[in-house]
Amino acid sequence: MFHRPRAGALLLFPGLLLMVLGFAVPSAAMLFAPPGVSPSDVFTRLTKMLTDGYDLQIIGRTLTLGLIVTVVCVVIAFPIASLLARSTSRWAGLWLALAVFPLLLSNVVRSFGWLVILGSNGVMGKIITGLGLAQQAPQLLYTPLAVVLGLVQLFLPLAVVSCYSAVAQVDRGLDDAARGLGASRLRTLWTVVVPLSLPGIVVAATLVFAGSITAYTTPYLLGGSSQRMLATQLFVHANVTVDWAAASATALVMTVLVFALSGIGSAVARAKGRVA
Amino acid sequence: MKARPIAAALAVLGYVIMLVPILFVVASAFTSSSTLSFPPKGFSLQWFGKAAAYQPFTDALVSSLLLAGCATALALALGVPVALGLHRGAIPGRSLLQGLFLSPLVVPELVIGLALYQQLMIGLGQTAFAALLIGHAVLLMPYAVRVTGAALTLADPALEEAARGLGATPWRAFRTVTLPLLRPGVMSAALLGFITSFNNVPLSLLLQSRDFGTLPVTMLDYVQQSYDPVIAAMSTLILAATIIVAVVAERTVGFTRIFGGIN
Repeated sequence: MFHRPRAGALLLFPGLLLMVLGFAVPSAAMLFAPPGVSPSDVFTRLTKMLTDGYDLQIIGRTLTLGLIVTVVCVVIAFPIASLLARSTSRWAGLWLALAVFPLLLSNVVRSFGWLVILGSNGVMGKIITGLGLAQQAPQLLYTPLAVVLGLVQLFLPLAVVSCYSAVAQVDRGLDDAARGLGASRLRTLWTVVVPLSLPGIVVAATLVFAGSITAYTTPYLLGGSSQRMLATQLFVHANVTVDWAAASATALVMTVLVFALSGIGSAVARAKGRVA
Repeated sequence: MKARPIAAALAVLGYVIMLVPILFVVASAFTSSSTLSFPPKGFSLQWFGKAAAYQPFTDALVSSLLLAGCATALALALGVPVALGLHRGAIPGRSLLQGLFLSPLVVPELVIGLALYQQLMIGLGQTAFAALLIGHAVLLMPYAVRVTGAALTLADPALEEAARGLGATPWRAFRTVTLPLLRPGVMSAALLGFITSFNNVPLSLLLQSRDFGTLPVTMLDYVQQSYDPVIAAMSTLILAATIIVAVVAERTVGFTRIFGGIN
């Protein structure tokens, strides 16, 4: 039934219609010519954005925080993944489930936790003043630190999952061989497991970076207006100031960044995969 | 230098960052004081009652469940045939099409949301529900196509041919051989899709109206106005529901595997 091209095309058609009319056409229209705005207005706003101090600061902050979150996530996720993938404990499954579970839980709920911890009446402030480290609880919420913590919490499960499947497919016999030949645990990890799971690590880093620079909920709740990032700025243009040329320019920057990043990420992952 | 203590320390730090904030939300929901603070003062369940009786939350919960159900059904109704078509048919430009169906994973959701707001709600005067349904169905298409596609790759096409060779009509061969092989993939995609839609903020953010708002966006709006334990209680209720879903999913299709497989 599905071996004839015409049947195949027929099966694809309804889905294709949704993707074209409900996604590709509206997105292209919004990016290049939103209602009542000419493409040249969008272009003018885009060039202004790429030269304006305030806008550049937002782009810079988005990329810097995204990079920090990516590095922290990979540095924490890889050890978790390698411990879980190499564990013989009967609890390993439960620990893996605990790392995956947050993926099912609302981002709103996950980020609220940091409000309780970092907020003005929060635990962290009480600990700091309680220990006598400061007279007054320092401002913790609406700082870059708050955004980084929130985003790390958000994307760690994703990074753990990607690293886990990368480490799990590295043949355990290779670890044993390296150890048997006298390599230390750290050396085995660094010269055997890391290079062989590098494509998976690159995929994890790409997903976390792309996710961080487009995330909305966490920068909105924990960064507020003092730590504005591209996504929160796009919302202001779209909904508060209703400046659609600016919204399109911001959306263009965000979209181009994400596509470039995904392209580079998958190219690097493929290249590393070939070497390994 | 020993690798194990360093790895263990980083792992502990990771689990603390992932899980401890959630515990603080739960603990602060049981406070008897009227501010969101920690440690909670006294013990009370009053905030759960207030959250359950707060109409914007209950209305938004119904809206979110309705939207997630409809969007999942629509994405599967359109996406499963796409997976079949891409898998079996000799389609020209196959990788390009595949790229199009997976691209909602890359395009920022806020961008899709603004596009649908401008074109569907303002341009064509559609309701928030219509725009949300289309947007969420687009968002879930990659899951519907890829997760079902993964189940298809595991299915041996020779089985369907064998059924045909034994005299089954094409439809019967499909219904009795291919469809049962697809079932686990479709169930995984449905679960993944429903949860993704229910929790979504960025795509839904701009597609709200006075009569139709989704729960996560309504909760974000609430925090901006008042910062009291009602929000912690509502979050705790969502957490409890999510745990139930996770346990049921683990028993039936294995959520660790589904969520591990998609990215």
